[in-house]
Amino acid sequence: MGYEINEEKVFSSGHAACPGCSEALAIRFVLNTLGRDAIAVVPPSCIAIISGPQPLSSMGIPVYQTTLEASAASAAGIKRALVSKGNDHTNVVAIAGDGGTYDIGFQALSAAAERNEDIIYICLDNEGYMNTGSQKSSATPSMAFTTSTPAGKLSPKKNVPEIMVAHNIPYMATATIGYPDDLARKVKRAMEIKGGLRFINILTPCLTGWGVPDSAGPKTSRLAVQSGIYPLYEVENGEFYTLNYGPNGLSVADYVTTQKRYRHLSLENIELIQAEVDHDWARLQKKF
Amino acid sequence: MTGTVKRVPSIWTTGSTDILNTGTWRTAIAVHEHRPAPCYGVCPVDGDIPVWVQQIRNEKFKEAWQTLVENNPIPAAIGRTCHRPCEGACNRTEYDGAVSINALEQYVGDMAIREGWEFPAPSDELDQKVAVIGGGPAGLSCAYQLRRKGVQVTIFDANPELGGVLRYGVPEFRLPKKMVAAETKRIVDLGIEVVTGRKLTGEDLGELDQGYSAIFIAFGAHEPKRLPQFSKDDSRVLDGITFLRSVRLDAPMELGRKVLVVGGGSVAMDVAGSALRLARQVEILALEGREVMPAPEDEIEDVIEEGAILNDGAMVKAVEDLSGTLLLHCIKVELDQDVPPGVIRPIEIAGTEFTLEADTVILAVGQDPELVDWEGRVQVARGMVEVDNDYRTSRVGIFAAGDVASSERFVATAVGDGKRAANSIVRYLGQKIVVEEGFADEAKEVAIDDINTFYFPTQEPGERDKVAVEIRKFGFDEIRLGLTDAQAFDQSKRCFSCGSCIECDNCSIFCPDMAIIKDSDAPLYYKVLEQYCKGCGCCLEECPRGAMGVKEETK
Repeated sequence: MGYEINEEKVFSSGHAACPGCSEALAIRFVLNTLGRDAIAVVPPSCIAIISGPQPLSSMGIPVYQTTLEASAASAAGIKRALVSKGNDHTNVVAIAGDGGTYDIGFQALSAAAERNEDIIYICLDNEGYMNTGSQKSSATPSMAFTTSTPAGKLSPKKNVPEIMVAHNIPYMATATIGYPDDLARKVKRAMEIKGGLRFINILTPCLTGWGVPDSAGPKTSRLAVQSGIYPLYEVENGEFYTLNYGPNGLSVADYVTTQKRYRHLSLENIELIQAEVDHDWARLQKKF
Repeated sequence: MTGTVKRVPSIWTTGSTDILNTGTWRTAIAVHEHRPAPCYGVCPVDGDIPVWVQQIRNEKFKEAWQTLVENNPIPAAIGRTCHRPCEGACNRTEYDGAVSINALEQYVGDMAIREGWEFPAPSDELDQKVAVIGGGPAGLSCAYQLRRKGVQVTIFDANPELGGVLRYGVPEFRLPKKMVAAETKRIVDLGIEVVTGRKLTGEDLGELDQGYSAIFIAFGAHEPKRLPQFSKDDSRVLDGITFLRSVRLDAPMELGRKVLVVGGGSVAMDVAGSALRLARQVEILALEGREVMPAPEDEIEDVIEEGAILNDGAMVKAVEDLSGTLLLHCIKVELDQDVPPGVIRPIEIAGTEFTLEADTVILAVGQDPELVDWEGRVQVARGMVEVDNDYRTSRVGIFAAGDVASSERFVATAVGDGKRAANSIVRYLGQKIVVEEGFADEAKEVAIDDINTFYFPTQEPGERDKVAVEIRKFGFDEIRLGLTDAQAFDQSKRCFSCGSCIECDNCSIFCPDMAIIKDSDAPLYYKVLEQYCKGCGCCLEECPRGAMGVKEETK
């Protein structure tokens, strides 16, 4: 009984993430699965804060802090340099937020995917620019409050997982911290598939930005899955879809009512989101 | 290039953040706790149920039995006869149905008999002797608890064999004699002197005072209550416990063709079931409505399946002798809610009169202790020996428990009272008792809200299978088949283990600060690294079973 997760202790205590931070938990399972033969690339973000104040690091592996738009390009460059030096074993992993992935780093990511660079790209998706005080990103979902969408965002979340699938990369997966064994397994799977860009989108509820208690990260992420908002699935070579965890009967209302970023919603608003979720789920289901 | 290669010293990362004490951020810290489960809170013998159920799940059956017999030396018997308040209180009840705790208890109890597991001999031998009067559930339980602490014990019982109500009351189809025999033998084998066939009375006190340091009275309640509507010396009117005893002795009393059982408790159901098996037509008349009858619902269901007709919420007003048969004039009643506890006041519902005809009427409306020759020797009140919270009677050195001293007439309660009385006796004897590891007073019982149900997929409850009615009603063979290994395992998996850590590691896995580590020296398996814990509470939230609590910290 309980989760079976093999961890190599790479990620250290003493980091500066907020109490209960989902992102720290995600980094834990990413790094502790990757092991020490890895180099990380991190753009400006909470992840950069968590990686440590110089001269200290929580990450236990070499970390290159690059510019916000260049995570994928930097990772690709490091990997190519390693290979040209005869090192074909070290994994290079870019770990960026949704701002650095969905918005600012997107051209570099798309280009790296098009060239099928041999890197692992992890997006820690907390649905906004949470490090700078909760502004909207293109990962912010419909009607969610951020400081730059005070009445709720008017457009739906950009579907980056499907965009990455459309690049026909060898591996794309969605994961979240409420299913840590599934998350660790997907990192492991990404490591096994070498020779191309492997992308994992990890939903990491931001406790302050979303307005949930410090203890509610895993639970909130599970509600996202159980209500059908964030199905967990993986796709190999742009075609082979596998569903891991889908909706189990909970509704959007079960999800949004626990978060302050949705507290302005009317019942009609919730129904609109529900319709959007139902539509997306119906479309996704056809692919399995 | 020539000359030496200059290496630029690294100016960036040189150390790990683990030198930073993020623990200073917090205001509260999570702690691992062993908290009481609701089943424990209501268990008549104070059994820590989640612990032994978990041992079953881990296939540590002998350990499970050892945990069980800490508080209850007769699990095969109680696993069949308990009124099981635990299942009513189970946190799983409202989720997808209670865990079948009683069936699991029987499973382990039966296994112990099959495997021949024995109690370890007492580690010390004391000189002090205690006389236990009555070898039923309370007496056996007390004798066992005393003996395992090294006290010399003699059990006196009026019957030829030990077991009391379990041996001479509860019918074979509910509790086979061989189970009672095996479990009583195991207790006696601890080195207990047994004197059977001798009914001690108050007049024997002098003799007992000579030989024994303390006396424990637990001879039960055998004086049947009567109803004034029925004539005292009508041979067609029997009493329930005398009838059950005759069945247990394989010499059942003569019954007419149509039998009416009056009463709504377990004894009434046992009487009805026994009469049905003697091929009689059986009707039951109970004062209470079916939902509030004292008999457990499954016992009522059994006899109805077997063909008994239940008239609930009704009483006999008058009895008419129709030369041969009895005609009972009955009326529907409802119970007055506005009465003190323990009092039953029926209110007749006008216009609901009906009649029942019977060749034999069996009254199963309760029993009183036979105390005639005890009165004046120990204080008697409300028809029972009066005891304080420590089971002490008015006379120093004499203790009492079970049906003789309690109006709570459940076998499991008698076992629990016997155990607690033994502790009281040991204290009286001036012996130190090893205080059992209980729960701290401030420990909060685990409620369903403390359970993280995500970790418990719904799973159908499963009870013991019953023998088909067309087979079972023709004999006294046991109705319920014990759980199979697979059924028992499934049931044990259903237990939330409320408040009892099972080392699932969730607290450690969900810590974003890696501040909880497994530690074999820790009393509850894990250690919280105080220098790192930021107090987020993820561990507490993700603990599936409420085995953690919060400690506020002030700085």
